[in-house]
Order: sequence, then structure tokens, then C-alpha cells
Amino acid sequence: MIKTLSLAVALSAVAFAAPPALAAEYPPPANPGKVPAASKKGRKLVVCKRGCRYKTIRAAIKRATGRDLIVVRPGTYREGVQILGRRYDGLRIVGDPKNPRRVRLDGKGVRGAGGQNAFFVNAADGVTIRGFYARNYKANCFFVVNADGYTLDRLVAERCGVYGIYAFNSKGGTMSNSEAYYNNDSGFYIGQTPPQKGRKKRSFVTNVKSYLNVLGFSGTNMRYVTIRRSQFFNNGVGIVPNALRTEKYPPPEENVIADNDVFWNNFNYYRGAPFKIPTSGPAGLSAYPIGIGILLFGSQGTIVENNRIFGNWLVGFGMVQQFELAGDSDPKLREAATLRNNVVRNNRFGLDGKDLNGRDLAYDGSGTGNCFLGNVLTSPVPYLGSQATYAPCPGPSENAIDPTVLGEAAQWIAAQNPKKPETFEQFWLRHPHAPRKGVKPVERYRR
Amino acid sequence: MGVRDRFSARLGRRDFLAATGGAFFVCALGERQFTVRTARDVQRVDAAAASLRRPASARRDRVDSLSFATPAPAPGGRRREYWLVARPVRWQVTPRGYDEWHARRVPRVTFRALAYQAWSAGFAHPLGPPRIPGPTLEAEVGDVIVVHFRNGAERLRQALTVHPHGVRYNPEYDGAYLGEFTRAGGFVAPGEEFTYVWEATPDSVGVWPYHDHGPNHTLNTFRGLFGAIVVRERGAARPDREYALFLHNFPPQITGADTVLHCINGRAFAGNTPTLRARVGERVAIHVIGMDSNFHTFHIHGHRWRDSAGAFVDCPTVGPNETITAAFTEDNPGRWLYHCHVFSHQDAGMAGWYLVDPR
Repeated sequence: MIKTLSLAVALSAVAFAAPPALAAEYPPPANPGKVPAASKKGRKLVVCKRGCRYKTIRAAIKRATGRDLIVVRPGTYREGVQILGRRYDGLRIVGDPKNPRRVRLDGKGVRGAGGQNAFFVNAADGVTIRGFYARNYKANCFFVVNADGYTLDRLVAERCGVYGIYAFNSKGGTMSNSEAYYNNDSGFYIGQTPPQKGRKKRSFVTNVKSYLNVLGFSGTNMRYVTIRRSQFFNNGVGIVPNALRTEKYPPPEENVIADNDVFWNNFNYYRGAPFKIPTSGPAGLSAYPIGIGILLFGSQGTIVENNRIFGNWLVGFGMVQQFELAGDSDPKLREAATLRNNVVRNNRFGLDGKDLNGRDLAYDGSGTGNCFLGNVLTSPVPYLGSQATYAPCPGPSENAIDPTVLGEAAQWIAAQNPKKPETFEQFWLRHPHAPRKGVKPVERYRR
Repeated sequence: MGVRDRFSARLGRRDFLAATGGAFFVCALGERQFTVRTARDVQRVDAAAASLRRPASARRDRVDSLSFATPAPAPGGRRREYWLVARPVRWQVTPRGYDEWHARRVPRVTFRALAYQAWSAGFAHPLGPPRIPGPTLEAEVGDVIVVHFRNGAERLRQALTVHPHGVRYNPEYDGAYLGEFTRAGGFVAPGEEFTYVWEATPDSVGVWPYHDHGPNHTLNTFRGLFGAIVVRERGAARPDREYALFLHNFPPQITGADTVLHCINGRAFAGNTPTLRARVGERVAIHVIGMDSNFHTFHIHGHRWRDSAGAFVDCPTVGPNETITAAFTEDNPGRWLYHCHVFSHQDAGMAGWYLVDPR
């Protein structure tokens, strides 16, 4: 532990002095005002550009209650939609599920609050948003907060200021059949899941595509989330559950990442990006190192299994304690930094040797009960550090810290400098990519 | 749709149902009790179950305030994790539409059942179709069985649970609705999940049922929410052939058929029920569990085995949620019938084949 702490101190010293991202503060549940009487069955409110009663989605929202169905016909809507409060529990808003790009919300030129999010749901439970294409909003494309249950299905999120599809302080949700790209933080994000005692409501992320974002999927302090049958490629990092002090309830725990394709996450956005390049990263870092498939940056009880992880030139799968919290005086935060009972099993690395990762596995050996089982490794550097660090399952009561891994990771972080994009690539171990239908590897964005 | 044979036709539907013990059944639900005679009664019970709110936990006695540690495996034991979803399934009771024993056509009966389905960790993908009975949960003495249970029957809008027999558990993991004394695992609402942790102790060795014990447990167990738990001594070898057979019925009130269907593992009539197989010389264990309100007698033609007292038997009685095991070394090749020997049960579907190959 002393070595770990001294490493944390060293990392803090070498890392850029950029402050950590500010704690996310979102408005409390809003007063819904006078609730109009709703029929028991609910109504169908149709929105379209011409010939409908409602010309904007906001106008329909104003008249709707949670029993209603709002159908939005194809067209481009320049507005931000806010769904605030219990009055909208159970509301369904449907564009074109077969072709979401036909029902477009564009935030370009939209002023004020409307330009922040295409859809913003706050304190309304069980809202469904299906079949929309949103782009150019200053904050997020689709954003749900303080909700018990949500369905975000068949959505396209392009070039929003922070996140593409985002749920915060919520539980029991679904993100499915959607794609997110060109977002300057993560394509998909579930953050600050409240801990649930006893019974839990799990959230599912199913059949989504996330590419050309800083992060494919971010999960700050997220819980009870299963990410399955999805693709994360051409991002800076593919999937990153992480423990941060900037949000409540660290660490991330009881998550499952299974049956996903996580590949080619070598997008060096510092060399050029379709979005505003972030000025700082998490935990006092300049950024997450680029070129990682899946990174657990502090996690407990997470299962990573049956994924196909290939062509990530720094590391395929990495797991490291949250070193910034590990040095904190608060024992709760120190505990949140610790890796416990994480299981990495039956993943296939390197696409049968045809598309290798720089290194398949990297683990600092910290924590307890962490284990590896049945992974197929193909990289010339299958493990960072000693193989003995990667304990078989079931995990040992105490894992064994490997100082060489910590030393090397510290070197990567110390070297990276956003003003010199090439520094993010200097520890990459490049290998040829196998061709893949309909997708090309992107390391540098060009218009 | 219904099963029309001369027996039932002669008796008439009401008499037939009465004769087979399927005329009606009683469901106690919250403070109400329902006598279920018709499909409409089933709807009433379901509606009442859907309207039942999660009870606030009462603390009338100091035992109600006790808190319990989550059990861990004994030294050398393992965590055996299962991910189960309770969900509706279109279930075929007689998929072949034929009774091979009596060489007669029988109606194809399909209805909306409930079943436990095994999933991979985190409910990432199903490990097979939903089945009746649900997945068999296995452990050895010293292990803990960890069941991550998800109520995936959203449209049913009722709380469901998993309640085990045979293993050791504290009240937190009882999986039973107990009115105002219900703990978290006794009321798992649609979309929720709960993790049960049960211990396989030395006195758990054997085969036991698990089933729904939520507020509407009688009806939902009758619909198919049950499965088996097998606990062995540490390091004990499995039999060469091992089967778990549930003897139960589907009442017409839930299937829409004309008569009660007496089933084995959700299917009725030989050719639809499980066909068991073994070879001469193999060690065979057939675990038989009663899962309805009747007593059954389990008979395998051409075979005898010892009961728990050491006496030879070939037609032991098995009651509701009771298990008997027919364990023997196979020595008699051929096609054999196995069935419940309550006559009205065997003729209404509770029979199947046991095929023994020579060496």
C-alpha cells in the first residue's frame, strides 16, 4: 500500500495541473404545475411541420400527461424538449423507429436552455424516447436524470457537447439499438447510480454502437448495469467504468460487460477531432491514455466476460485502482478506489491473432478477489508485468501488487501531453488491423 | 382445445374435474381468499395480485428487527452463481398431439405459462429457452448457492420470488411473501432483481424443490415457476444418469383446456413427457418431486429400488413438495413405462417412457 500511495503522489505530481471535472449539479425535480386531466387510456398527440395540431414537440409536451403517446413525424425540429416531473411518468415519445434519422432535432442556433439538450427528462419515471436523431446540442443529445426506469431506444446522437446518450442518478433503464458518435466526452454514459439495498433495478445497454468519441462508454460510479451485445470502436478508450469524487456514490460496482466487440480504440482526438477537444481529464489527469479497449478505473464486483477485444494498441483490457482516491484521507474514498472481486473471464483477445492488441491485459495487482479465467490471449505482450499478478478464479483474498505495472502505467501517464498529440501514441504497440465490413480504423480524424 | 377422451366425456366436465381433483383450487392473496373455478377467477386473482403494494415492514417482535450477515462458503466450498429470470412463455403441454402409450390423438394444448430461465452473468444472454421445470441448481456441502433473480414478467405486474427447500438460509433469503413481515426477497416486483444466498450444509444433501413464494404463489407455481436443487456430499460422484421429474398438473382454469392435465415436467402423455434413457450397468437416479396439491405414486415398470428405510419399493408415494429418489444400477433393458399410479393421473397424462439399452 505504501508503494501505491507513493505512486499516487508521484502521479499527481507528474499529471497536468488541470482541475478535475466539476461535480455535476442538476436541477431538482421541477414543479410540474397544474396537471391537466388525462383520459384513462391516454391520447395520441401528433407533431409535424405542417398540417398537425402541434408544430413543435414542446407544444405537445405542454399538453401531454404520462398516459399519452406523442408521435413525431419526420422533419427537422430546432428545439430542446424538456420533460419535467411526475406528471410525465410513463410518457412515450416516438419518432421513426425504423429510420431515426428522418426525425431530426438540431441544436444549431437554438438559444438558451433549448440548445442544451435535445431531450431532457428530469424526475419523470418510465419515459420512453424512441426513434430520434439529435445533434449539435451544447450539453447532451439525450439526457435522463432522477428517473426510476427509462427507455432510450433507436436513437442517433451526434456531436453533442458532452454526452450522446446519458442517464444520471437514475435506475432501471434501457439504452438500446442506438448509436453515438462525435461527442466530446462519451458516446454513452450512465453515472451516479444510487446504491440500492436488497432489491435492485438493473439497467441494460444493448446493441449500441459508439465510435469516434473521446470515450465509447463512461460509467462514473455506475451500478447494476449490464452492457451487452454492443460495439465500441474508434474511440479514445472503449469502455471505462470509473470511480470519481466528482459524483456521488463511488465506486462503480456490480456491473457486467459481456458479449461486446471492443476494437480499434486508438482515436487520438488531439490530432484533430470533429468536436471541441476537452481541456482536462478525470482525477487530475490530462486525459485517459488513448488506445485502451476496456479500463476499470476503480471497480468492485464487476464481471467482464465473453467480449471480443482486439486492435487496441495500448491495452486490450486494463484494471487499475483509482490512484487519486487511494491517497485520500477519507476512508470511504480510499475504499472506493480499491479493486475488489472483479472477474475477467472467457474474453477473446486479438481476433484469433488477426488483429492484435498492443498488450492484452494490464492489471496493477491491487485489491482483493480480482481474478482472470479462460481468456484467450494472442498479443506478443499478453500481460503487462508478471503473469503471476493475474490470479485465477476464484480470486485470492489478497491480490499481489506488481510494481512494474504501476511503474509502466505511471510512465504512460507522465508522458502524455495534449499539446503534443504524438505523446499519446509513444507506448502503442501497433499491429495490422483485420478488415471489417462497413468500418474503417480511425486514429486521426479528417473531414 | 380440450382433452376429449371417453372417460371424461362419460363423466362430464364438472364431474371429471371433481374426480381428478382439479375442480377448483384456493388462492390466498393478502387479506383475501379466492376460490378459483373458472378462467375469470384466475383473472380476478391476477388483478388482485397486481394491485398488491409492497408491504411496509412491520416490527412487532424483536425477531422482525434482526439483521443477518450474508453467508459465505465454508472452507473449501464455492460460490455457485445462477442468474434466473422469471418470465412468461407460450408453453406447449402436448407438443406432439399424441399419446404414445394409449396410441391416441390428444389435443395440442398451449397456454401462457411462467418459467424460470437461466441467463449468463448480468442477464447478458439467455442460456437456453425458458423451461418447466426451471434450471437445476447444483451444489456440494460447504458451497453457497447464489441466485440472482430477476422478475421479468413485466406484463403480469405481480411480485415473484424464489423460495428454496432443503438448503439453509436466514430470513433475508427466504424468498417468501409474509404479509407485513415480508423482507426484501419476498416481494420482487417486475423489473427488479434480488440476490438470494443459500448454504449447502451437511443436512442439505438430497434433492429439493424451489418455487415461487410471492403473494400469488399458488397460481404462479401452478403456472410453472418451480425447479430442483441438488446438493451432494463434497466430492461425491454424479450418477451416470440423473433426472428430476416434477409431478404436477395444469388446471383448466389456467390452460383453457377442457380438463385438468396431469403432467411431468410441464408435459402430458407419453411421447410428450421426458423420455428417460440409460444403459445396462449404469447407475441411475430419478428424483421425483410432487408439485401440486395431490399425492402421487411413482412407478417404473420392471424396476425396484430401496427407499430411505432400506426396503424395496416400486411405487412409493410422493406428496406436495416432497422428493423421492429411485436409485438403482440398471439391469433390465427394454422399453418401460414410468407413471404416477394414481389412475386418474396416469390416464390424464402423467406417464412417460424409460428406454434402457443393453450394454
